[in-house]
Amino acid sequence: VATTTATPGGVSANPLRKGLAVDRIADPCNVVFFGATGDLMKRMLMPAMWNLRLEDILPANYGIVGFSRADDDDDKFRDQMKKAVDEFSRTGPAKDPLWSDFTKHLSYVSGTFDDTNCFHKLRERLEKNDEELGTGGNRLFYLSTPPSVFAQIVDQLDAAGLGPRDNAKGWTRIIIEKPFGTDLDSARALQAEVSKVFDEKLIYRIDHYLGKEPVQDIMALRFANIIFEPIWNRRYVDSVQITAAETVGVELRGGYYDNAGALRDMIQNHVMNLLALVAMEPPVASDADSIRDEKFKVLRAVRPIDRLRVTLDTARGQYDAGSIAGKPVPGYREEPDVRPDSNTETYAAVKLWIDNWRWADVPFYLRTGKRLAHKNSEIAIRFRSLPHRLFGDYGDNFDNNVLVMKIQPEEGISLRFNAKVPGPKMHIRSVSMDFNYGTGFGVVSAPAYERLIGDAMRGDATLFTRWDAVETAWQIVMPVLDRWLNTVDESFPNYSAGSQGPPSADRMIAMDDREWRKI
Amino acid sequence: MSLESSTVSTSLEAIRAELSGTKLSTSTLNFVVWIDDPARRDWIVERTGMLSEKHPSFTLILDNSGSCAGAATVTTSPRDPNSTITVDSERVEIDVCGKDTATLVGYVTGLTKTNVPTVLWWSGINENSRETFYAMLPLITTLLVDSSGGTRDDTGLRMLAAFHAEHPEVALRDLAWMRLRPWQDMIANFFDDPNLLGELFSIRALQIASGSDSEALYLGGWLASRLGWTATAQDTFTDRAGKTITFEHKRVGDIRRVLSVCLDSETSWYHGEVTEDDDAVVRVWVEGEHAREPQLFPLQAIDNASLLERAVLEPGTDELFETALRSAATLLG
Repeated sequence: VATTTATPGGVSANPLRKGLAVDRIADPCNVVFFGATGDLMKRMLMPAMWNLRLEDILPANYGIVGFSRADDDDDKFRDQMKKAVDEFSRTGPAKDPLWSDFTKHLSYVSGTFDDTNCFHKLRERLEKNDEELGTGGNRLFYLSTPPSVFAQIVDQLDAAGLGPRDNAKGWTRIIIEKPFGTDLDSARALQAEVSKVFDEKLIYRIDHYLGKEPVQDIMALRFANIIFEPIWNRRYVDSVQITAAETVGVELRGGYYDNAGALRDMIQNHVMNLLALVAMEPPVASDADSIRDEKFKVLRAVRPIDRLRVTLDTARGQYDAGSIAGKPVPGYREEPDVRPDSNTETYAAVKLWIDNWRWADVPFYLRTGKRLAHKNSEIAIRFRSLPHRLFGDYGDNFDNNVLVMKIQPEEGISLRFNAKVPGPKMHIRSVSMDFNYGTGFGVVSAPAYERLIGDAMRGDATLFTRWDAVETAWQIVMPVLDRWLNTVDESFPNYSAGSQGPPSADRMIAMDDREWRKI
Repeated sequence: MSLESSTVSTSLEAIRAELSGTKLSTSTLNFVVWIDDPARRDWIVERTGMLSEKHPSFTLILDNSGSCAGAATVTTSPRDPNSTITVDSERVEIDVCGKDTATLVGYVTGLTKTNVPTVLWWSGINENSRETFYAMLPLITTLLVDSSGGTRDDTGLRMLAAFHAEHPEVALRDLAWMRLRPWQDMIANFFDDPNLLGELFSIRALQIASGSDSEALYLGGWLASRLGWTATAQDTFTDRAGKTITFEHKRVGDIRRVLSVCLDSETSWYHGEVTEDDDAVVRVWVEGEHAREPQLFPLQAIDNASLLERAVLEPGTDELFETALRSAATLLG
């Protein structure tokens, strides 16, 4: 299997590039979007490509090809994409003359995923682009389709001579949207299919959470500062809470979500990636594999959840009707395309242990849920209590120190510590020191998809998930998934929309004499 | 978010007393601004304000333009104890007309925060400010200038090149250079194709049209430093093979703006030109043996506040810039 990652010579050989931001410019290439008329394409992917153009991150020679079942042509596709960019781009509506120039690089192939002829048509289009747009034989395929057709598309690419082994001119890479499988077996089956055609170095499993600036800053906080790493261990850390709370319900994804649930939709990928970043050992270098090696190692150290402890160490919930920001919202079972007797969890909480020297006996509490009180994603490191309370006689409320990495909607870092209240007596009160990205750097973070697509075009896989980590994450959640799939939770629905989550989650953490941070 | 401003006397004690009443603030840098050009005062103050609104910085404006009224204005975050704003900027603007150098240095040492970088934006044009400028140098981390800020000719660049030759240890930033980044990207883009690399070494002429000289000289200096050209006259380079490259600069259009660049190789002409319809878009094309259809590129026009931001956020020396400056200096003779 070919593992070409860059055009020989290329941008890096150009002496005028020295000192300029070489990493901003990708090799000439075609980017092919499967599922090109879908919602993700309109809301995220095409606006991302347009903004990559505006930011001058796309190379001069590029092609963007949409592939979908819809019986459209180039012009209709361009019109649709213009509407999408106008509506969803962070930079506002697209303007001429730049948009007209951009559309020269846009084309569309109509076809079904089971028709090899359509993939031959796609190949012809790419070869034409190589000739007319100078895209140099480099190809990036983006699977923005239902997971059920991932393997089929990969097979068809191979059959049509579009796989890496048939591309002697340049590189061929593939981006695969989550979820990668629906359980461990299906993930392994999908991996077996994809790896027949694509070497692991050419597969970019996208988790858009990893493209968020604050997520990348976790590593900067840990490994670009001397003060945190010495206390980042079992000696000083009491516990870690990772929260990914949403106020939205399932929106128009009821059909998908009712077969997925919070554990598969969030914990197995997004939240597990956050766990890996916050708990991993310092990588030996900043390259993709050094970082991904450490992420894999820490996931491998997660203690398997004993099937007999699933009910003790996890909690599940499903939202009932309630109100969000004062507006009434329906219960999960009343949502479109959701079964009226659904047993699918919209809330999941899991307690994990990491069996290594750094984290032995430190519990990691993971939770995610829909229709909770606030949108809030964060990682909170709670430090141990003081060994001796020098100022305890006054009955002051001492809080443990807490370091919070805020991911969304706020982006920043907060440190809670104790300070003396001004006055003659030694009263102590907890105060918070906040750093906010918006005011700290005064720049707006680019959406995650822009960062990630740009990285894939440049061949930087650092922010993409490697197969060993995906497989291990599935291994971690499988005992919980099996249990939840095979037992009906009679308490469902068990939390109101707009609340903090189900009481069972509070009971779970209360058994350890701890409590959840307020969402 | 509303800020609070108060006017006090220009004594260091009075300013410090006013600042001491503010809430705890977090500073990422000290930003010291020197103004002695009345014509540009408001423009500079406005840009400085934009930067300090975005960053939790301490800004000290030393206004020697003679246009304010013998007082100091101290601007801080709200002092309401119930305010939830915990991080904000502080700004002190002092009329320094008639103050001696020791007093000016005293403002900088007495008011700026320790343990954070200090950036000096020097917009001075007055020869009498020279002593102050040199007195400030030991106090700063980075010096920021704009060599085409107020002049179309090469005066600013000449002074900067002379200063850099004298003080290579000072970390320098020039807004005129920083504005050129999109043009550099575009020129580099012509030769990203490995098959065209040879073209770079057969360039025989360089033509630049810009509203002020700094931009053209910087682009010429940058190309020369990257490709091993040596300036043999104000309008001529020779390459490593001893062949001549002519350099033509037309001063045309708005100050601080590049209008077009053309590189002539032995086989082709590489053009980039601001479009007539939209001055934020550049049309790029190639004629001759390596002809390429016209393409449009966004110019990524960067506003001055953002340029300032980049200048203060990028730490250390900028080797690419300093090499280009030295090379541009050889063109100046």
